[in-house]
Amino acid sequence: MIGNEPAAVEEVREELLARASVPPRLTKEETDRRRAENELVLQATPHSLWYYSWRRLKRNRLAMAGLVITLILIIVAVFASELAPFDPDMQVLEYSTEPIGFHGNVLLTKSQVDLSQTIPIPIGEYRIQNNRVIYTTDDGRDKSIALSLLAGNRESDWHKTPIYYFGTDRYGRDVLSRLMYGARVSLTVAFFAELCSLVIGVLLGSIAGFYRGWVDDGIMWFTNVVWSIPSLLLIIAFSIALGLGMWQTIVAIGITEWVDMARIVRGQFFALRETEYVEATKALGLKNMRTIFRHILPNSLGPIIVIATAGFANAIIYEASLSFLGLGVQPPTSTWGQMIHDGYGFIAAGSNWGLTLFPALAIMLAVFAFNLFGDGLRDAFDPKLKR
Amino acid sequence: MLAFSIRRLIYSVLVIFGVVTVVFFIMNLLPDPARMMQGQRADLATQQAIRHELGLDLPAWQRYVRFLGDVAHGDLGRSFTSNRPVLESIWERFGATATLAISSMIIASIVGVGIGVLSAIRSYSLFDNASMLVALVGISVPAFVMGLLAMLVFGSWLDWLPVSGYMWEGGELHLEYLVLPMLVLAFRPVSIIARVTRSSMLEVMSSDYVRTAKAKGAPWKSIVYKHALRNALNPVVTTVSAWLAGLLVGTYFIEYIFDWPGIGLQAVDAISRSDFPLIQGTVIFSALIFVVVNFIVDLIYARLDPRVKLG
Repeated sequence: MIGNEPAAVEEVREELLARASVPPRLTKEETDRRRAENELVLQATPHSLWYYSWRRLKRNRLAMAGLVITLILIIVAVFASELAPFDPDMQVLEYSTEPIGFHGNVLLTKSQVDLSQTIPIPIGEYRIQNNRVIYTTDDGRDKSIALSLLAGNRESDWHKTPIYYFGTDRYGRDVLSRLMYGARVSLTVAFFAELCSLVIGVLLGSIAGFYRGWVDDGIMWFTNVVWSIPSLLLIIAFSIALGLGMWQTIVAIGITEWVDMARIVRGQFFALRETEYVEATKALGLKNMRTIFRHILPNSLGPIIVIATAGFANAIIYEASLSFLGLGVQPPTSTWGQMIHDGYGFIAAGSNWGLTLFPALAIMLAVFAFNLFGDGLRDAFDPKLKR
Repeated sequence: MLAFSIRRLIYSVLVIFGVVTVVFFIMNLLPDPARMMQGQRADLATQQAIRHELGLDLPAWQRYVRFLGDVAHGDLGRSFTSNRPVLESIWERFGATATLAISSMIIASIVGVGIGVLSAIRSYSLFDNASMLVALVGISVPAFVMGLLAMLVFGSWLDWLPVSGYMWEGGELHLEYLVLPMLVLAFRPVSIIARVTRSSMLEVMSSDYVRTAKAKGAPWKSIVYKHALRNALNPVVTTVSAWLAGLLVGTYFIEYIFDWPGIGLQAVDAISRSDFPLIQGTVIFSALIFVVVNFIVDLIYARLDPRVKLG
């Protein structure tokens, strides 16, 4: 603390005194107790790196919070079709840009094209009269429809008052449902893109770090080339070149974002090559591939995982940025970036801010949770480094 | 020093050469520009004429050599939409981007280092935990999301600042237009600089010479600012320079959202109009700026810390 010098000096003085003084003699009981303790430690099987890392991670409350949020997002993404209150693509044009918590009031009719589908008709009031339902439309006119054309048999089957918890977008689609389906796109793209760059990065990094010399020079030159091009422009160029869509987005992000991974893996190889156990593999005459995959890479897993989690979080950002520009996964599939793009025009007008805020919060939450977890992982794998 | 500079210079040129090659490769994958320029209605003869004019009827290797030669002469082609030389349009817009990027980085360096130092000397205090959590938020929020949220809160709800437009209007300077984009742009670098400063300071604060300084009874302020901070600044300088280089070429979303007429806004417009020469020119120009800034930083580094030259 600033202006607290006496305490600092005090601390140092005490430490020096403690070091200079003669340690107290231990009683026999104490010596025996310590010896038994040492024996116990020696006999117990040592746990793996994973055990200790997981134990440290569990104690980190922020990291665990990040993990829980991430797991919830994954569950939402996987079970989006079960959890979402609406079909995310269902348009009810009469319910365009309704506010948060809006109550709908609709009659469900059978679709003439596909009998398993239903089409909602927004209404004001309705009453049943001789096998027909008479209802007032949104603009106040009276209309009627035969009961046989309505979906289901009971009144509760064809008359619904659904709640749009987060409001509706311009086309009268439910924002909450679209957010849930958006999680699917976001996480899928980020996962496979990160997998792609993980493979490229580990491969190039291992080759550069293991063989060194001109191979290393060549690979590092290429790494620097990719690093010098602004990532977003490179991703955009790749996705335009490949055509727009889901897998194109994955590939575009994947083949751009491997630079950090390659550098870290190369650095690990440089460090680990000097260790005795890698030298031993040479003495034993093991093949290079076996040394790389069985001995060096498993021992670099900590840093690799840490970089991969950061990369995953960045991939979510890139996916959102791409679809914000309309260059990512294409409509009608709902993505968070695209929802923001469709909604942010309302900000200047000062209305319907939910259309921007909710997807924005979704992106923030996903990336933040993953970064919390990633930070925790780094501390867990390397307790010397805090944050 | 001279040998080192020449080595770095040659390497930088090699990297730029690589960038140009990669750009050529990607542009070859893109749809046929002749169709793009004339639309679907163009007859075959016109398309052929355009192809010939752009040299698209030549074999790939000849086009590559021609492209390298053009770039080396500073000729990045002409824009499809405005038919002006690409380099001219980029250069004209670069001032706006540089203003935004440099002012952002000045703010980010001061605030970031300040927060980092305070966090480190009061590690695990409330201030430290709170600011590191905010820094993590700063790292987690995409630029365009942050920009829109800032617009929503400060522009729409509180109505404090104008939400879009450039600071020069009719020859007059309106600095209030700079505030919001500058702060939004600074948020992420502030977060990262604060994190780097904090961890670097923590490491230095536990080193032997700081302990010695404490033991000989040096004043606390001089320990923090003279002994510790100066030695902790190395990784911070790296981060700051990398971010400066990054911001000079990577402000697309902020410029797009705040309608700031820099190279980023121009690039986004070019993308939406499929103006490939302009996109290609922006990529090459950005990489060039990035490499040049890094080259200069390398030289300054070698001057300050002679160990760098060996690496």
